[in-house]
Amino acid sequence: MKKFSNYRRSFLKSSSYFLSSLLFGTLFKISDSTADTKLKPRIIIVGFGIGGATCLSYLLKFSKNFDIVVIEKNEKIQTCPMSNLVIADIIPYSYISHDFNHKRLKNIKFLNSSVKKIYTYKKIIETEDSSKVYYDYLILSPGINFKNDIDGYNSEDRTIVPHCWNGTKDIFNFKKRLNDLEKKSTIIISAPDYPYRCPPAPYERASLLANFLKRKKINFKILILDSKDSFTKKDIFLNEWRNYYKESIEWISKSNGGKVVYFDKKDNYVKTSNGSKFKADFINIIPNQKAADILTRSGLNGDKDWCNVNPMTFELNDFRDIFVIGDSIDAGDMPKSAFSANSQAKILATNLVNRIYDKELLNPVFLNTCYSFSSSRRAFSITSWYKLNNQKTKIVSLGSSTTKVDALSHQYFNETRQAYGWYENLVKTIYG
Amino acid sequence: MKKNKYLIFLILFPFHIFANDIQINVIIENCKSCHGQNYEGNKYIKSLKTLEKEEFISKMIKYTTSGDNHVMTRISKVLNKKDIIKMAEEIYEKVQ
Repeated sequence: MKKFSNYRRSFLKSSSYFLSSLLFGTLFKISDSTADTKLKPRIIIVGFGIGGATCLSYLLKFSKNFDIVVIEKNEKIQTCPMSNLVIADIIPYSYISHDFNHKRLKNIKFLNSSVKKIYTYKKIIETEDSSKVYYDYLILSPGINFKNDIDGYNSEDRTIVPHCWNGTKDIFNFKKRLNDLEKKSTIIISAPDYPYRCPPAPYERASLLANFLKRKKINFKILILDSKDSFTKKDIFLNEWRNYYKESIEWISKSNGGKVVYFDKKDNYVKTSNGSKFKADFINIIPNQKAADILTRSGLNGDKDWCNVNPMTFELNDFRDIFVIGDSIDAGDMPKSAFSANSQAKILATNLVNRIYDKELLNPVFLNTCYSFSSSRRAFSITSWYKLNNQKTKIVSLGSSTTKVDALSHQYFNETRQAYGWYENLVKTIYG
Repeated sequence: MKKNKYLIFLILFPFHIFANDIQINVIIENCKSCHGQNYEGNKYIKSLKTLEKEEFISKMIKYTTSGDNHVMTRISKVLNKKDIIKMAEEIYEKVQ
């Protein structure tokens, strides 16, 4: 009797929302007219990146008990992990591009659309084509959005070098501009302030651009202008740059005038907070970041940059039955990484099922291991376990550790294999 | 005999960094991120299926005490012997 007690309440609500959606909006286009469908709790997953797809892979075995709907705006998934290797022509684009395995998803309703707004009080989602979809439980894994807080810079501007930080086909434009560089070129990478997606990635990008340009025999200089005074795996990166790229990569910290405050796209230069001016042939601004637009448009993160969730369930603190994972949340000590989103999604899915069936929630632990490449044969990592604090309100690190700077060459090479191994098992599990 | 061996481990290594209310399968779910949903590994990462349970325990214990640079050394350092034995029980119950 106890089982499904929550569900019964939500079913009654859902039914009324369904009827109300008939009155004021376009009816949800996915078939939901059978009684069977309406008797099951509906779980909607928005965003089929690493977080959303992991959630689904854990919910698949319950697909007969739940009415599961996935809403994804892209027709294919392009992952951010490994994308710097694609930029550097070390692996092909096809390696990071994944089709939806519709055979595997046969019991899942799949909607290729984006979400315009979430009406939390009605438990309804409005999609781009104005369809209205009700939910009992809503899982949001929408990625990130970008701040335009550098004067003269607009992250949407298609005429400048794309930031290439959100898994889109801008990667081709980025590569074309890189291939167009003259034999002697200066490159600027503007690294964002914390928190942002994949903390070591700006420095990995610098390393792999250097590797690519070196192979192309282009005489180059890469300047990393940083909005921070330090960065993850700094000692290893500095060592790699010193040993393998000589004087060609220079890092300028915030305190030394590295924070970019102005961008002039016409004359291709930037100005930093101490008034210094840097001109370059290729300027890659990686903007500061915030929660995805859909969360802001629907008022789910208040006036904050990131969403606050209960780390036991990933339910939004102020909105019942809405769960957020991945880069859009404040995850305490956990970095914004694919590994983190994968680890969080497992807990979210498991504890959501536990909640629906009135079972005890699991006390979570999370793992993050983040690999960075400095060339095709050298990679290194940072790893940490996480658990909840005593109050169960925050995710805290149990202490991170990195590859040792003085590791031997074969150990750096082994880490490239572990990075590929992790990635290939991850995408096999979640995309099938 | 095997049970006695495990008991000796538990007595010798009682320290536990994870809270006692954390279930071992929650830890193990994180192992699957690299080792695969069925611990099958791939061409880069070892399959746990090819190891015997005792071999797994011995390798994991070696990781926790080793100072080498392997990523598994760093991942394993928060685990104690009790965790490792429980993990082995869970993993090899499913694998066989």
